[in-house]
Amino acid sequence: MGQSTPLDIGIVLVVEDEPLLRMMAVDLVESAGFVAVEAANADEAVQILETRTDIRIVFTDIDMPGSIDGMMLAAAVRDRWPPIEIIITSGHRLVKDLDLPAGSVFFPKPYDTAKVTATLHRMARH
Amino acid sequence: MPLKIEITLFPLFEEPDVDHQKRLEALEAYDILDTTPEPEFDDIVLVATAVCKTPVALVSLVELGRQWFKARIGFEACETPIGQSVCAHALGRPETLIIPDLTADARTRSNTLVTQDPHIRFYAGAPLITPGGIIIGTLCVIDTEIRPAGLDDIQKKALEALARQVVLLLEARRVSRRKDELFRRQKSIASTIRTSAIKTLAAQEAGRIGTFEVDIATGNVKVSPEFCRIFGLAHADAYPAATIEAMVVPEDQGRQSNTLSRRTGDAEADVEYRIATPDRGIRWIGRHATFERDAHGKPARMLGTVQDITNQKRSIARTAALLDLGDRLRDLDDIEAMALVASDLMAKALDASRAGFGIVDLPSESVMMQPEWCAPGVESLAGLHHFRSYGTFIDDLKEGVTVIVTDVLADPRTAQNAKALLDIGIRVLINLPIFDHGKFSLVVFVHHSKPHEWSEEELAFIRSVGNRIQGALTRLQAERNQDLLNHEIGHRLKNTFAMIQAIASQTLRPVAERDHVLNFEKRLQALSTAHDTLLARNWMGADVSALVSSSIDLLGLADRFDVSGPAFSFGPRSSLSLSLLIHELATNALKYGALSTPAGRVSVDWSIDGEGDHATFRFGWREQGGPPVQQPERRGFGSRLINMGLSGTGGVVASYQHSGYSVEMTAIVFQLQHAK
Repeated sequence: MGQSTPLDIGIVLVVEDEPLLRMMAVDLVESAGFVAVEAANADEAVQILETRTDIRIVFTDIDMPGSIDGMMLAAAVRDRWPPIEIIITSGHRLVKDLDLPAGSVFFPKPYDTAKVTATLHRMARH
Repeated sequence: MPLKIEITLFPLFEEPDVDHQKRLEALEAYDILDTTPEPEFDDIVLVATAVCKTPVALVSLVELGRQWFKARIGFEACETPIGQSVCAHALGRPETLIIPDLTADARTRSNTLVTQDPHIRFYAGAPLITPGGIIIGTLCVIDTEIRPAGLDDIQKKALEALARQVVLLLEARRVSRRKDELFRRQKSIASTIRTSAIKTLAAQEAGRIGTFEVDIATGNVKVSPEFCRIFGLAHADAYPAATIEAMVVPEDQGRQSNTLSRRTGDAEADVEYRIATPDRGIRWIGRHATFERDAHGKPARMLGTVQDITNQKRSIARTAALLDLGDRLRDLDDIEAMALVASDLMAKALDASRAGFGIVDLPSESVMMQPEWCAPGVESLAGLHHFRSYGTFIDDLKEGVTVIVTDVLADPRTAQNAKALLDIGIRVLINLPIFDHGKFSLVVFVHHSKPHEWSEEELAFIRSVGNRIQGALTRLQAERNQDLLNHEIGHRLKNTFAMIQAIASQTLRPVAERDHVLNFEKRLQALSTAHDTLLARNWMGADVSALVSSSIDLLGLADRFDVSGPAFSFGPRSSLSLSLLIHELATNALKYGALSTPAGRVSVDWSIDGEGDHATFRFGWREQGGPPVQQPERRGFGSRLINMGLSGTGGVVASYQHSGYSVEMTAIVFQLQHAK
């Protein structure tokens, strides 16, 4: 925050259908020193993942329009691109009701930016 | 036209002896005015026009201020004001009135039907004379051409004959209505008699007492005629004791006296047991007896009375069953469990041989019968059955009607299929349809293998059971809908919180002091978490310990807290206040207080003091092991919030002791639980 120069420690794919929330997530990711790539739904995210090899972390919402939702995206990432880290967020779901993919982290909305930032940094160090 | 005109038009009736009152009464009795057209009357005007060769024919009934047409042809209006009536002039005489030229006749030349459209010119009207001699109107024919010759003789006679037909039709109509009325009354009388007969019968039954006398040595029982009737035995003076003892149902065997207990004199004086009668199914018997002893004091004879107490017994069982049903339905949240409870209770209250429920498949009109309650020796019907194999009563079930077949051999819905029913031990059949979301989806059934005497009370009981299940189901559905709605609202609220966070973070980007922005974000989260806790209980409120622990968990500090207090529920509004308060207290502790050092701890406790309206809730927060504390100079949002206390009106005592910060808050319990 305040530091707007990306440290280029990795590229984060932000998947969120609500533009305002996506804008905030992108800001968060960039403030944390990452480069953000945006997708408005999970289908778009899969296309991006299939065409680029530099995505380090996927930061996704769950409930989005399209053929698959955030949970299915997370499962697909774990299956097809195992090295990519996953952060899942939702205002609708409770963590106890979710079957999170191994190694992924969940934040309820509205999320604590400091905690999300810390998690991004931890994941980037791996 | 206003009433005034009708009255001034009376002088139109030239004939002074016209009895208006009688005519009106006669019309009233026919109850014909303003009724819909009827083909019988329409036919008559049709024939009249054909015979008299006129374009217009009317059955005109003359009331007080108007003439009204029961049937008409060639004339548009269904009535006209009396001032336009030519028929009114025909009321005074029992003869046909013929006016060849209406423009030439003093009575009609200024009539607006003559002077204006439709410009009628010729009129012939045969009076409608009731059997009582009262003229109520005419059957008339009208032409727009002058007819100097009037009607010929045949036409006139035909018109008069048709007029008589009109009166006959009116009479027939009245008689048939009267018949309907009588039939209705008779039916209602019959049903009243039936009801009172059933009641009388029950009362007599309760009063009737049979007597008996057992010769203990021989086991011979002398019985009264009433005894035979109560036990359903053929009339006889005596029966062997064994015959009577064998009638007691297996479950109640041992309650009645036997050879041994009679010999020793140990048989109980008052007993109640059920017997299986050949014609009247299971009956409850109340038996009272005493012993007559011989010279040595040994029981020689047992004398006693028996009474049919089935109705009392069942009435008690029904009341208990309904109460029980109410209690059990309240706790159930599944339609099949409800059906099971209902069938179980009905079986017992109605002395059934089998009771249970089945899951209905409407398209195939079949039912999957679930394992049910069966009386000893009765076979289960669990499995798939087709309704139509047993009769047509599914048609009633689909309409939501409770089906009560008191005898499958006699009921038209089952008579054709009686054999199929008797083969599976069904002589009496009750089917209670249960609708889920408006669809016939379950059927509760009760079967009797033997004829069962039904009382009105029992039938009312069955309907009451049905209503209760349906009521419980409606409640269940309403609750489910409410849950769904609450979750939807909860999710939208959470989304709104996320949006507020996004807007704030965008708006506050230029703010250099990031602490303020972070504080805002954290408070928003505290509020959002409190909503989660409330959502878990459908916004009815939240438990204090749940609110405390979710607030602490949010900060990841659970292991630094000692929490204790009784189970206590806050209302929704106070729940939100408490969550925000704990958030502020914990944030302060983290920055300046006990949680700012590794060793510091916080203890949170609460209690309720006093009772009733004056009960107060006390909440304590004590920090220990932190750095020395000082009262802050500036009062920020957090400390202002803390000073407002639990219900927003104070009741806060804070102390800044050397050992650590502590605060105690009190509030009236009623306010905390009922503030919306």
